[in-house]
Amino acid sequence: MLERFLHQVKVELPPGNETAAGARARLADKFPRAALRRMTHLGLLLGSALEAIPLGPEDAVVYASTFAETRSLEDFLLSFPAASPLLFQSSIHPSGVQQVLIGRQQPVARLWPLAGRARLVEQALLTVLLEPASRVVLAGGEETGTWLLAHDLASARSFAFAVVVTRSPAGATGRVAFARGAQDESACPTLENFTQALTGRHGLQWSGAGGSWTLDWL
Amino acid sequence: MHAPADQLPVGLAACDCLTPFGDAPATAAALLAGRSALALMPVLGRDGGDLVPLALFGAMDETIPPRGLPALHRLAAGIPPAAWGTARCPVVVTSSNFGVGSVYAFTRDHDARHLAHGAPFASVELLRREFGWGGHVQVFSHACVTAHLGLAHAARLLHAGLADRVLVFSFDFVSAFVAGGFHSLKILNGSMPAPYAVRPTGSIGLGEGAAFAVLTRLNGPPKPRFRLAAHALHNEMFHFTGNQPDGAGFAVCAAAIAAATGGRRVWLKGHGTGTLEGGRLEAEALARQFPGAPLTGWKGGLGHTLGSCGLVELAVALAALAAPGGKIPGTVGSTGPTCTDTVALAAFDAAGFDGAILTSNAFGGAHAAMLLTHA
Repeated sequence: MLERFLHQVKVELPPGNETAAGARARLADKFPRAALRRMTHLGLLLGSALEAIPLGPEDAVVYASTFAETRSLEDFLLSFPAASPLLFQSSIHPSGVQQVLIGRQQPVARLWPLAGRARLVEQALLTVLLEPASRVVLAGGEETGTWLLAHDLASARSFAFAVVVTRSPAGATGRVAFARGAQDESACPTLENFTQALTGRHGLQWSGAGGSWTLDWL
Repeated sequence: MHAPADQLPVGLAACDCLTPFGDAPATAAALLAGRSALALMPVLGRDGGDLVPLALFGAMDETIPPRGLPALHRLAAGIPPAAWGTARCPVVVTSSNFGVGSVYAFTRDHDARHLAHGAPFASVELLRREFGWGGHVQVFSHACVTAHLGLAHAARLLHAGLADRVLVFSFDFVSAFVAGGFHSLKILNGSMPAPYAVRPTGSIGLGEGAAFAVLTRLNGPPKPRFRLAAHALHNEMFHFTGNQPDGAGFAVCAAAIAAATGGRRVWLKGHGTGTLEGGRLEAEALARQFPGAPLTGWKGGLGHTLGSCGLVELAVALAALAAPGGKIPGTVGSTGPTCTDTVALAAFDAAGFDGAILTSNAFGGAHAAMLLTHA
């Protein structure tokens, strides 16, 4: 069985109608003013979730987002034919977490940005379990779209989370485990389901990737 | 304290690519002949704009179904059969742009059919259906180091005993979205790329490419001829599109992969897009870490194939090594002077080397390097 322990779970689940401008006002004291102006909604939420989470150059970050930089993508597309260089940069996955780490001038050894949907949570956790770094930060989130949302190409909800994952149970609040052997597959939690489980400390169980998965709380 | 390279050697059971030159052997032959697939074309396709160097499979303008699909079918026909997409034979798809060209097309003609494969997951779902893969398809997207991540993750899956074989599949097609974006950064301009050349203005070209690799454990079967022996990754997080001015990010990655070479005499295939600062920092860091090792770069011939470049150029390297004579293509598109004297402008003989380092870089100061050796 592969298992890791969760420490420092932090979730941002703003009201459904929060805009990027609203998040910018709400979270203003967490970011340098110059950086704040340019950050996207997802970048702001991730920055808040990653606040006070220490990272070093030997650490790894696993970053999961299905739709990623939705608003930058929407706005960049609408900037044509005079394409905006700033929106181009911020529309490229994994800009959301890069905005935060560049703002902190925080190098990391490995950054694993995932971009799937149906089994995204499982794949992100598998990536965490295979990461040899002693400390891995699992982060993820989405930002609400506008015209892309009408076509199911954006999230209906903005949220973000960050969790420090290590091999040490000391002081841990939760645990993720993968036991090999299960052949049948069940539905994998969505990224939003996973975020809600982190918020409410709900357990999760499912099967996939040739084994069974457990998220539980200590 | 920086992280060491992953040293999890795996066999390369199969590997091929598709570029505007053709498959990997045809691409290697074209580069050996000093040919470039780049031509000056309007940056926004049918929407016009400045002429910039692009290497495309056909007209840039998106179609329904996506215009890249025939090329991907042609490439996928060479993938050895297996229960791809099952837990024991997972697929790792890597791309930077996926189907974003279809979303751009929607904003121009408002045909909602484009959107069926616009998002990364939808683009990959289309491939899954077309190629008959199961549900175990992991998707990485880390701009231009993406393919390295897919290969490194596959090695981890194999060494953890979680897979028997892994298919890494990578692709990127040029759309007005990405061409317009790089043009807005002024680095995609009217000049042809000249990687590692000392000249007044830098420039890149964009290319289209797709590639796959089937990775296995070293004991096969079949017994692989080549192996990927190590992967190094590092993320500077200094600036979105710039690097630390002292080249520290390049140095960290180069040092990590050098520590894994075990004294092998290696040649180097760099990222070498044609940017001035990035090219100089990369060449200098590699020259310091691998004194005298020849450095070549192929994006002057292929263009920068974005998220697929790491795997496309791996396939070209393998084809060059496997071809009679074993000649490695030189840095197509460049003439002297170059930013270090280690830059190989002409083709060189692979004999006498017992490994190669292949590198890629990406936005955010992301660095990736892998060690290719004979099995």
